[in-house]
Amino acid sequence: MMFKKITRNIKSFFSKVNWSTRNVYLTVKRAIGGVFRKFWSIVTQEEKRIERNRMKLDFVLKYLNLDGKDIDIQLDLDIAEIRKDLVEKKKALSVTYKKDKNQSVLNELNTVSRVIKYLPDDNRTINRKGDRKVETNKFIKAMIYLSPALILLAVFTFWPIINTLRLLIYVGYTESDGSIQGYTIFGNFIKVISQRGFIRPSAGTFSSALINTLLMAFISVPISIVVALLIAAGLNSIKGLKGFFQTIFFLPYVTNTIAIALVFKFMFNENFGLINTMLGWIGIDKVNWLSTNANYWAVMGVMVIYSVWDSLAFKIMVFLSAIQGIDKQYYQAADIDATPKSKVFRKITVPLISPMIFYIMVTSIIGALKVYSSVITLINEAGEIRGATYKMKTIVMYIYEYLNTRAPGNLSLAAASSVVLFGIILLFTLVQMQASKKRVHY
Amino acid sequence: MGAIMEKKYLNRWKLTDKFVLAADAIAVILYLAFFIKAFIDIPIPTKEELVDVNFIFNGFQMSILAIFAMIATPLLVIDSKTHFNKVEYEIDAWYGGNTFVKGLISLLLLNPVSAILRFYNTHNVLKFATGHSYIEAIKNMGRWFKQKLEAFKNRKNSPDHEGEATDEEVRLRKKIRTQTIGIAGKSILLYGLIGIAAAFVFLPFYWMILTALKTFEETQSTNPSFFVALKDMQWVNFKYVLNEMDFGLYIYNTLLVGVISTLGTVVTTVFAAFAFSRIDFKGRDTLFSILLMTMMIPGELYIITNFVTVAQFGWISSAGNKVFLAMIIPFMTSVFYIFFLRQTFKQIPNSLYQAAQVDGCSDFKYLVRVMLPIAGPTVFTITILSVIGSWNAFIWPRLMASMLPNNNESFYLISVALNKASFMDPEGMRLMYNLQIAASALVTIPLLIVFLALRKYIIRGVGRSGIKG
Amino acid sequence: MEIVLNRLTKVFVAKNKQETRAVDNLNIVIPSGKLVGLLGPSGCGKTTTLFMIAGLHKPTAGRILFGTEDVTKLTADKRGIGLVFQNYALYPHMTVRQNIMFPLENLKVEYEEAVARVTEMAKLVGIEDQLDKKPSELSGGQQQRVAIARALVKKPRVLLLDEPLSNLDARLRLQTREEIKRIQRETGITTIFVTHDQEEAMSISDEIVVMEKGVVQQKDEPQQVYYNPTNLFVAKFLGSPAINVTRGEIKDNKLYFGGKFFVNKKAKDGLYDVGMRPENFKVAETGSKVDVTDVDIIGRDTIIRFNLGDQQVRALVDSETVEDIKEIKLTIKDEKILLFDIETGKVVLDSKKER
Repeated sequence: MMFKKITRNIKSFFSKVNWSTRNVYLTVKRAIGGVFRKFWSIVTQEEKRIERNRMKLDFVLKYLNLDGKDIDIQLDLDIAEIRKDLVEKKKALSVTYKKDKNQSVLNELNTVSRVIKYLPDDNRTINRKGDRKVETNKFIKAMIYLSPALILLAVFTFWPIINTLRLLIYVGYTESDGSIQGYTIFGNFIKVISQRGFIRPSAGTFSSALINTLLMAFISVPISIVVALLIAAGLNSIKGLKGFFQTIFFLPYVTNTIAIALVFKFMFNENFGLINTMLGWIGIDKVNWLSTNANYWAVMGVMVIYSVWDSLAFKIMVFLSAIQGIDKQYYQAADIDATPKSKVFRKITVPLISPMIFYIMVTSIIGALKVYSSVITLINEAGEIRGATYKMKTIVMYIYEYLNTRAPGNLSLAAASSVVLFGIILLFTLVQMQASKKRVHY
Repeated sequence: MGAIMEKKYLNRWKLTDKFVLAADAIAVILYLAFFIKAFIDIPIPTKEELVDVNFIFNGFQMSILAIFAMIATPLLVIDSKTHFNKVEYEIDAWYGGNTFVKGLISLLLLNPVSAILRFYNTHNVLKFATGHSYIEAIKNMGRWFKQKLEAFKNRKNSPDHEGEATDEEVRLRKKIRTQTIGIAGKSILLYGLIGIAAAFVFLPFYWMILTALKTFEETQSTNPSFFVALKDMQWVNFKYVLNEMDFGLYIYNTLLVGVISTLGTVVTTVFAAFAFSRIDFKGRDTLFSILLMTMMIPGELYIITNFVTVAQFGWISSAGNKVFLAMIIPFMTSVFYIFFLRQTFKQIPNSLYQAAQVDGCSDFKYLVRVMLPIAGPTVFTITILSVIGSWNAFIWPRLMASMLPNNNESFYLISVALNKASFMDPEGMRLMYNLQIAASALVTIPLLIVFLALRKYIIRGVGRSGIKG
Repeated sequence: MEIVLNRLTKVFVAKNKQETRAVDNLNIVIPSGKLVGLLGPSGCGKTTTLFMIAGLHKPTAGRILFGTEDVTKLTADKRGIGLVFQNYALYPHMTVRQNIMFPLENLKVEYEEAVARVTEMAKLVGIEDQLDKKPSELSGGQQQRVAIARALVKKPRVLLLDEPLSNLDARLRLQTREEIKRIQRETGITTIFVTHDQEEAMSISDEIVVMEKGVVQQKDEPQQVYYNPTNLFVAKFLGSPAINVTRGEIKDNKLYFGGKFFVNKKAKDGLYDVGMRPENFKVAETGSKVDVTDVDIIGRDTIIRFNLGDQQVRALVDSETVEDIKEIKLTIKDEKILLFDIETGKVVLDSKKER
């Protein structure tokens, strides 16, 4: 009880301090603002301008014989009408003058012209200027708020895009001194694509970085999506221990790839790995997963299994949120019709979350095509298995090879390969978007 | 049988509960303190000793302490949460039983103080909720059991009307029974399948901790064991790894980079998200679409140029300290987080902004005093995700550190250090997996603890970001 | 503090360059200390007008004066107005007390005085025991009262309310109506509120401004707007059940529908849109026989649906007058019949009644 009282007193004390500080801040801010405004008005000679405007108004009023009367020129007079009349009068006068060349006519003509010039703005016309000023102010304000992010993005996101295009056309670029040996349009691309092991398989084997990456991506992604869907649906149906299971399924998301891939490497060890031991329980001989002379498909298997394991967490979370967002009424209707659970899943759940599935599919493929850290941990830095003719390199590993070896022109090759990667990603994304048109229901 | 819901018992319960919490907290602190002391006391072994398992340390004691701490801490957290939220009517006989069981657990955790207090509290709860004392409660339970047994025995006879049940009713009841068994069976199957999937996901973690606590011998056996006896847990592995790897420095590096880049990220993201969500300026949608498109481009493309840029700034040449600039500054903003926060900001109704304008509130003040508090959880999620990202960062820090002259290792971040670390046996032939994985565990466990503590925010944040995608 | 709107216009330009004139050349004077309602269907520009008075929207043309001060160029916070939003716009993470204190932060008020004002306002609207709760813990009606307190705490010259009753359930609406009227009387602040519910406007306003498509249709006391509408739109908008509008012909000061004589009406010969409010019909022996299609007795009132010519019309009469009679004959007083010009919709007045 006393505890609450003490906290309340402390809180009110703080509010008081807060309040007074703010008052002081406001006073100071306004004082500075006032000084600044005064300074500005002196600089722009505002007083003189106001005086001049008043004299102009007096002149107009005098001409219209309204001076001395207590009226508000914009409020009570129809400025557009007055202007129209005066312009006509001016025209009539100039016609008269041309005929007579009378001095008094000329005087009056001049007076009328001056009155027209001094007429204030008619506030009935649409004031576009004000709107534009508001627009500009908003733009400036937005830019101020955006500037920290934009500056960083400009240097580290926009510039690299431009620079990559730049690098692509260089030959033999050395970054230490910036020297170039020449220019080329497609030279770098050709060099990269034609290099054995990247797109085309290396000698004596069918694998290349491209093939490896594609296989890895297109085997693991569908598997992980299906598994994630099933798990998410299952999680949605169970009542107790939901949070517990959710936590477990989500663990891989926060773990370090390097750290856990190492554990996988150990688990798939030929001699003392857990996997081979468990296979032994069901009577299967131990498999050479990653050791000397390991089979290509065994190695690919390890990669796929790790990939699936690692990516489940995110997918499960997204799918679970999506499934939970489905209106219960659909299920209730199906229930009344005694629809079997599998049909409910296939015909109701999946179509209703198909936009989410599509989104996951696209992002997963994009992520899978960029696989790198897991490969270098599970196998080695160069993706080499001892004794094997093939190399389990991925596209990204190629890029980093170029990046890490210092030689003239290598940066351009790295740039070219990354553009190739981007092209592949783009291609598959577009294909998926095309294919999804029929199957995704929004 | 006494009166129920007597206020005095409730007050006694409240008071005792406070002491229970305090006792529990002290117990946890003691567990951890003793563990750490024992850990420090382990003499640093040489590699040969590790291979031959030729050293002495208090393995059993440490294992017990670790297990106690692992059980007691979550319990403490849950208890303190309920302590502040418990409502009067939730305190019933079941809660009394609950408290009693917790008392038993306290006994097992060698925490006699908590145990005794809990037993006393059970008495309070029982008296408060039901007006009974221990003995009477036990008697009641016995009676209740007997009743249920009788009812079960007599279930054949329909309680609805006299005489035997009709055929129709028997058939109906059988159908209901089969249905119930069917549902129960499906339920068991479901839980079973999910359990298997969960085991699949959890297995590497378990194996990681297990292997980290094994001796080198055990890691070389072709029939690895699934358990390590309490007394055989090789805590010394951690000691060795920590010593070898200068972990402290790397953790410091990683935290430094993580904290500063997260601060930067939060600031830039908040401002940018505010601009995109509340200010209607020309070109807003175009700019935003451009930013979204940059997310599709693979990060490798950026790395190539950024690497050159950073070198040109002179951040990775000589005096190592500037390397931190290279590791922090490129990551002080993220289009993904801007997108995410903008969504949250957009959900705040515009009328709040207008109301603030009428009250004379400047834009900046509105952002700080109104939008940020309302969007607080999202900002918190972004902070956590950003810190986790720095902890797990690998490619860029490695690139940066590798560019330093003289193979300067003092600027490694944790992942890089882990990748570089290699614990070979004294002959240099075989990799000592137990040590290697102990290093992995050291890197992973802090993150796991953070995750367990904050999982609500992380899960909610990730799920929501997926939906909006 | 009277409010003068002079030639107020607001044009919105959409992204596809399409222009909408939300408010078109408004010229009205809102008298000081009165409760004025801006009434109209959605999209008629009433909320836009309110926001322009508040200072949240900049007028495209025209001026706004508070008393003699031209406030057109002033920002919202410098005008001295209080605004209650339709969805209350309370800051959800602050307590009620903090919500009400928020406007004072910018006014350089002393802490003690601020606290005193908050308590005073809370008492005025009747939520002094909710001060430490968060808005989400309050009911809709209470939230609205907090919004009103927040608007009034800076002692503004003008109080503006945007559809204050539309978010409340029917029972609360009656209560809150009275509250608003009471608060306005006690404080004497010039108050403008926006609504699309004509019953609401009729019951509490001192004056009603009826708007349609950005143009003022009529500005008058509620009774005047009801009984003497200036045009067909106003007549149709006010009154529940709605006024009957039928095409009729006047010949020799007699009103005919579909060729059949109905009742006497002194006016110029010609075709008109004839407006007759259901409640103005009376059952009388001297009336005309009508082609009745339905008679619904609803307790105290009875609705008689009948045809005039080929158009259906409703009459609302006392149930007692319909008891025990075989044939229904209806009549309506001359001055209760409103004639509207078919093309312009403007009301046609007889020469005698000058406004």
